[in-house]
Amino acid sequence: MNFSFGNYLSSDCSAVRNWEPLGWVFAGMNFIFLTCTMGLATFLLVESIPVWRSEGLAFWLGENWWVGETFGALPMICGSFIVTGLAVLLVLPVALSGALFTSEYLTPPLRRRMKGIMEMLAGIPGIIYGLLGVSFLTAGVKDVFNLLDGNTLFTAGCLLAIMILPTVLTLSEDALRSVSSEFREAAEGLGLTKLQTAWRVVLPQSLPGIVGAVLLGIGRAMGETIAVMLVIGSLDRVPGFNIFVSGQTIPSKLGREAAEALGSAEHWSALMGLGFTLFLMVAFITICGNYFKYWSGR
Amino acid sequence: MSAIAFEKVVRVIIGSITFIIIGLLVAIFSIMFLKGFPAFHGDFLFAESKDFGRAGGVFYQLVGTLILMTTAVLLSLPVALGSVLFQTEYMAPGKFKTLLAQLTYVLNATPTILFGLVGYLLFGVYLDTGVSWVTGSMILAVMILPTLQVSLREAVEALPQKYREAGMALGLTRSSQIRRVILPQCFYGVVTGVLLGLARAAGETAAIMFTATTFSGIQFPQSFSDPVPTLQTHILILAQEAAHPESIAQAWGSGLVLLGLVFILTLMAWVFRTRVVMESDL
Repeated sequence: MNFSFGNYLSSDCSAVRNWEPLGWVFAGMNFIFLTCTMGLATFLLVESIPVWRSEGLAFWLGENWWVGETFGALPMICGSFIVTGLAVLLVLPVALSGALFTSEYLTPPLRRRMKGIMEMLAGIPGIIYGLLGVSFLTAGVKDVFNLLDGNTLFTAGCLLAIMILPTVLTLSEDALRSVSSEFREAAEGLGLTKLQTAWRVVLPQSLPGIVGAVLLGIGRAMGETIAVMLVIGSLDRVPGFNIFVSGQTIPSKLGREAAEALGSAEHWSALMGLGFTLFLMVAFITICGNYFKYWSGR
Repeated sequence: MSAIAFEKVVRVIIGSITFIIIGLLVAIFSIMFLKGFPAFHGDFLFAESKDFGRAGGVFYQLVGTLILMTTAVLLSLPVALGSVLFQTEYMAPGKFKTLLAQLTYVLNATPTILFGLVGYLLFGVYLDTGVSWVTGSMILAVMILPTLQVSLREAVEALPQKYREAGMALGLTRSSQIRRVILPQCFYGVVTGVLLGLARAAGETAAIMFTATTFSGIQFPQSFSDPVPTLQTHILILAQEAAHPESIAQAWGSGLVLLGLVFILTLMAWVFRTRVVMESDL
């Protein structure tokens, strides 16, 4: 077992020679980690080959998901984009205000406490948000907008906005904080007020980091299953521009149908195709988000 | 409006938004408490659930959640520790190392339902463990791997360079350096990672709902191929039975138990992390 990444190993020669059993154990663990990650993507692709064979790219454009006849993922893809977009629109003003206030106006101890609170919020299980959504949000949306059914794309968007708020807030705050204090001092030395400094100096400087934070939030929102599944109404249809109708996202579809598809190869393969689509979307958005975050950190 | 007045108005607005956000956490906790507390009759935590979850307690559900999250962390910790130490101690900086770090983030962001789908196929079908707590634990173990890795990596990287140098100057081999210097110094980081991993595993529903759990009729798992009931899936099923007020009441009760569990774990992780920060300031 000789890995060919000799160049990548630590240049400390004696250490390389003294790799010892422990080093091999660690290398093995690393290999397991690598296998898990690569295996996930490979598995999704390989297992969905039958559906790509039978549907081709029409899988992404088809409007009908009729088990046994045809599989089209357009309603789910549209639903995912609409719900996520809605969540971002709703969360952006709130999260940015919170981040700006936390980073520019709060003292360091208070800021740490705020971060702790955000961590608590981020840690609340999705099923709890789902339970709260089912009990309060659906009824609220139904009453406020005079609908027959409160399980709509809008409800899911609102719930997701609350769920990704801590992620977006805390990461944007990191980005704002990463702007060196020299810039702030220079701006204040020129006679700018605190708000002008924040708006004209800190915000433009930290824009890539904020974009990264939002993208990472989007990644989270796209993959959320349970809470969305409980409030979205689970109806496969291309929603058009009306957000006050029931819909379906990719994860909610997977959550609803995975258990019943366990026996049927064709159905299962279609779900895997859906999963692969979701994985591509989330991985792309996350890598972009991390790139922006890294860029702002430099 | 003068600039100073405008400034004040903006500050008040974004300040109140921040307080509303804090209020959100308070609101969620108080709603859960108000709604869930009535379900806590005498032995809610220590009684079996009866009548399809409409009566009784959540003892076996709680046990199921605890079994799944503990096994997951036990499986995940060695892999996380090994891979992080390999990456930080044995590998030289380079593209491959950056790639590995990126993979951690991708794995962390992967929607949890996908772990359920792939995990069921890999463990449940190909390794033939079926719908069982073993399948669930393995799925959760892969799922929390990045959580553990991130905490461990933070702890290892926060270690002052002089500790390593001192170890090297004493002629420690790399493995005794890890055993004698790095692991003891990163102990709190490991604990934080474990607690966060437990919390994440406890709160997860999508990955285990069709791979590891059953709704009722099972108590302690008798073998490796038995499913377990869990709090998460218990809530999921009860929450959808809107026609029965008793079901919803039980769902709130179970929700409060689950939230309490996750809250305690996160709080403990927070305390340990603050400790790390304080020590690295020295």
